[in-house]
Amino acid sequence: MSVFSSKAEKVFIFAFFFIALGIPLFFNENTFYVNKISTMLILSIFVMSLDYLVGRTGLITLGHAMFYGLGGYLFAIMIPEYEVVNFWLYTFYVMVASGVIALIVGFIVLRTSGIYMIMITLALAQMTFYFFADSTEYGGLDGLFIYLKPETSMFGLNFLDLDNENHFYYLCLLSLFNCYVFCKVSLHSRFGRVIDAIKENPERATALGYNIFHFRLVSYVLSSSLAAYAGYLFSLQYGFVNPTMMSWEVSASALVMAILGGLGTIFGAILGVFVYESLHYGIEHMTQYWMFWMGSLIILMVLLLKSGIAGLIEQLVGGKRK
Amino acid sequence: MEMSLFLVQLLNGIQYGLLLFLVASGLTLVFGVMGILNLAHGSMYMIGAYLVYYFAAMTDSFWLAVVIASSIAMVIGVIIERFLIVHLYKRDHLDQVLLTVGLIFIFNAAQSFIWGNDPLGVDVPELLSSSIQITDIVEYPVYRLFLSVLCVGIAVGMYYVINNTKLGMMIRAGESNREMVENLGVNIGTLFTVVFAVGVTLSALAGIVSAPVVSLVPGMGERVLISCFVVVVIGGMGSIKGAFVAALLVGIVDTFASVLLPGMSSMTIYLLMALILIFKPQGLFKS
Repeated sequence: MSVFSSKAEKVFIFAFFFIALGIPLFFNENTFYVNKISTMLILSIFVMSLDYLVGRTGLITLGHAMFYGLGGYLFAIMIPEYEVVNFWLYTFYVMVASGVIALIVGFIVLRTSGIYMIMITLALAQMTFYFFADSTEYGGLDGLFIYLKPETSMFGLNFLDLDNENHFYYLCLLSLFNCYVFCKVSLHSRFGRVIDAIKENPERATALGYNIFHFRLVSYVLSSSLAAYAGYLFSLQYGFVNPTMMSWEVSASALVMAILGGLGTIFGAILGVFVYESLHYGIEHMTQYWMFWMGSLIILMVLLLKSGIAGLIEQLVGGKRK
Repeated sequence: MEMSLFLVQLLNGIQYGLLLFLVASGLTLVFGVMGILNLAHGSMYMIGAYLVYYFAAMTDSFWLAVVIASSIAMVIGVIIERFLIVHLYKRDHLDQVLLTVGLIFIFNAAQSFIWGNDPLGVDVPELLSSSIQITDIVEYPVYRLFLSVLCVGIAVGMYYVINNTKLGMMIRAGESNREMVENLGVNIGTLFTVVFAVGVTLSALAGIVSAPVVSLVPGMGERVLISCFVVVVIGGMGSIKGAFVAALLVGIVDTFASVLLPGMSSMTIYLLMALILIFKPQGLFKS
């Protein structure tokens, strides 16, 4: 049985990573675009984690940016000032800490579902937003600065310099690849099968003896930790964190990107991010009222494009292989 | 806390709660009857406030501006329902979320295009601009009292319409069984348009009448929407009675929290919500 669920996915994944590997060589001296694409790769991890939750587990959240922001904040709060820390060690710390928070939040949030869950995730994310925005200790609306980038030595080897834009780009690309592989493997496992079953029919899954609350909670924690990792990378790239990272607009546009790419396809997250961000960038360049055009596009997408861009490609390349 | 100050804070809390009820009742009405979660509900609050600012400046009369602004809000409601929401009845929650998020983007862009991003204010109408002396140093503005009375009046009116009129009967029937209402020969399309228009007008009206006591800033709609979610989650989605009780609770708790716990005032209502959810996942009044 193939790892890819359709021919479109296979074609896209090979083409994407092949092209992505060459991007820094192509833009050689122009770090602006390399940085821009690094950010899109980070966003792709975030949106992929959201797709894992919304598209595959069937839990709609409007508060995912809370974990994106927390990833950055946890790192900024945990590091000792004026000391270079180890990247891999703090990756572990950030993901475990955010996982613990997700476990507690999930315990409250997953008691509800559907429309309630949408509202509660949004409300809790706003609560966290105001917590950081109002706090003097964590810098209020200005947030916190990360003065020194971590070093990346592991087993005495050190081949990545995070201050170098190209090195950072490859770190993001590697992270996205790992995230994709993790999502695919876990969804292919026994755990993933149960998750699929719960999404299709929660009552039947319960009747078969599965505790759907536990499975949803595990999925929520995994997805939230991935989102936190993306936020952690983002804070490293720009050297600061602020509450805007967890504003509701970030959650909402991530959801738009996931749907634009094709919900539940995992690889569609990458498509969604690159299309949305390119449009955003293009429209913002032309008019300061980009939100008007973005809003109109979203509405048109809901009314016309039912299975996202991934669905469109699948129609063009050929049917599902499963 | 001194008695007179306590009284003033209590009045402020009740007034804020009643305004929240006005917004939340529209949201919960639309959800209860139509099964639609309208995230752009808060944007109508914002649009109402900005419209009354615009027409009050143009006509020099606050009351005339109130009438014009609410009529425009109702027309916007009808247009949105007829052209956009109508496609969503057979779709899932996710499409509703997306489409209404798109609407928020459009409303925000329109606001920033027409009125700019600087804070604006509306004058309190002259008729109600005085204050009531409570003690020698503590006084309470008449306009805020008027707001509370108006909101109570609207709540009583809604209660009457829902329980005693034919429209109210159809609304109650729609809440309990949508398909059955349709099969019984009620024109559900028209009912939905009316309910949606009334729902968004309630939200806009809250923005209109509160314009003289708040400052008009971008993003004010989203702030109200989130507080409104807290109200609806605590009260139980779709229950207007629940919205009323929860709105007062949230209004009073929020007002006192900002006096007594200034450091964490913006978090208090969310903690209250989380606490209630742990014990009652469906809210206080399940509909």
